[in-house]
Amino acid sequence: MSALPRPSTIFLAAITTLVAVLLYSPLFVPIVSSFFIISHGNVDWSSPTLSTYVALAGNHDILAALRTTLIVGVCTVVLSVISGTLLALYYHGRRSGRSILQFIVFLPFLMPPIISGLALLIFFREIGLERSLLTVVIGHTVFVLAIVYRTVLMRLQSMSRTLVEASYDLGASGWQTFWRIILPNLSSAMVGGAILAFALSFDETMITILVTGTQSTLPVRLWAMMRLGFSPDINALVALILMFTVLLCVLAARFLIPKQMATERN
Amino acid sequence: MSGAGSTHAAERRLSQLVTVLAFALPVIFVLVPLAIFLVYSFFGVDQGTIVYAPTLGNYVRFFTDPIFLPVFWNTIVLCVSVAVICILLAYPAAYFLTTLKGRWRYALLMLLLVPLLMSYVIKIYAIRSILGLNGFLNKALVALGVLDQPSTLFVFNMNAILLTLSLLLIPFAILPIFLSLERIPQTLLRASDDLGASGLQTFLRITLPLSLPGVASAASFVFVLAIGDFLTPQMVGGISGFTFGRILYSQFGTAYNWPFGAALSVALAIVVIAAILMGERFGRSRGTSV
Repeated sequence: MSALPRPSTIFLAAITTLVAVLLYSPLFVPIVSSFFIISHGNVDWSSPTLSTYVALAGNHDILAALRTTLIVGVCTVVLSVISGTLLALYYHGRRSGRSILQFIVFLPFLMPPIISGLALLIFFREIGLERSLLTVVIGHTVFVLAIVYRTVLMRLQSMSRTLVEASYDLGASGWQTFWRIILPNLSSAMVGGAILAFALSFDETMITILVTGTQSTLPVRLWAMMRLGFSPDINALVALILMFTVLLCVLAARFLIPKQMATERN
Repeated sequence: MSGAGSTHAAERRLSQLVTVLAFALPVIFVLVPLAIFLVYSFFGVDQGTIVYAPTLGNYVRFFTDPIFLPVFWNTIVLCVSVAVICILLAYPAAYFLTTLKGRWRYALLMLLLVPLLMSYVIKIYAIRSILGLNGFLNKALVALGVLDQPSTLFVFNMNAILLTLSLLLIPFAILPIFLSLERIPQTLLRASDDLGASGLQTFLRITLPLSLPGVASAASFVFVLAIGDFLTPQMVGGISGFTFGRILYSQFGTAYNWPFGAALSVALAIVVIAAILMGERFGRSRGTSV
């Protein structure tokens, strides 16, 4: 698309820069404040400090919330990867009922989280399940399931049918074929799906607010604190989380992108 | 032999289990809650307890009470505006990405999508501090001479919600537009160039029409995400920035009227489904297979 003349390219580059600045400015604020002291909107550039990070280490409230978030994240990943893979394996290649079941799986992801969250809230109440971390994990799993399912299904669809046929021809049982052929081929998609699921669970706020009990996850804790204003150590936490998410993002790209690009080229 | 036989039996039992789970999981955890939710919207509330008798009262109240319909309408207008702002910013950025070569293209795309992974609550907080009276935006506008003194125009009102949601949701507009632009065959552009069209003509006659499906998907994504959000309005909207999501959320908190909240959710769901279907309808790329 190099047909456009120069001024328009400059215009496009300018808008892109503006968008990048707009997107990163909200991230920039907490990171800067984690190293410098800000009062009345003025940054004191003269004295960088790590005191916020030290304070964070002593903030048990936040660290407990972080631990809760990690527990919920891991449980969500395990449940969603197992059930997402299971659903993908089952629905793959099946005609009857697939599109309707698939639609149901996608619903919580498509619907606004407030609707999924409220529906689950009423559901838990009707079946007499107390709000707790269990209900949070169920809520997160229902929400991220579609992503894991779709990631695994796409890999299944790009997987050559001949692999499975060859395995059967060579006398392997269905069980052996599954463990030796199908699962190894799906593993990187499952890891990619797991990372995405974890990232979504880690930041899920709206469903969590509705279905959580007394223990709150980090986003919900932050949400509750925000009304009063944050203490500076939160900025340190934000900077750390940002680094962590960028790392996760790079990892996810590693596991997901190469294969997809390869299939696109075929 | 008996070992093989029992393996087969075990396999069969496992596959039966898989079949049951494949149907049960989505039905129990998605369909049943949504169905109960829908049923709830036909219940009533009497002095803080839910009355399990069918009534249309919630819907009648939604349509007749002078509060709800205007807020509902204003929220729709707000979210359409958010979608328009996001697309106006995302389209040039996505277009710029497609003019880049190879690795740079995806690196920059990644760069524009990474902010999505950052904590939503933290971003809202940071944006609020930027928009606030002592915030960066006011400082910049005063320094540039646009404003004489810091203004409260950008925080705790509808403008604040509009700006914050737009800022939060831009990446959701970039991705679908980028994908639709990338799918346009280069041969079409070269053909147009060979036939003597100017860059602008090629853009208006070839690129723009072929990328409209991506724009439609982007609009529906952004709209749906914006209208379902109750955190942003709650945080930056103040007293005057009242949106439908906030009213809905309050039915499950302070107002404590779950059935009415369920009825409001049904109204929200109808708008969302309409938006998704429209995105789906216009989001199908028709021209690229030519």
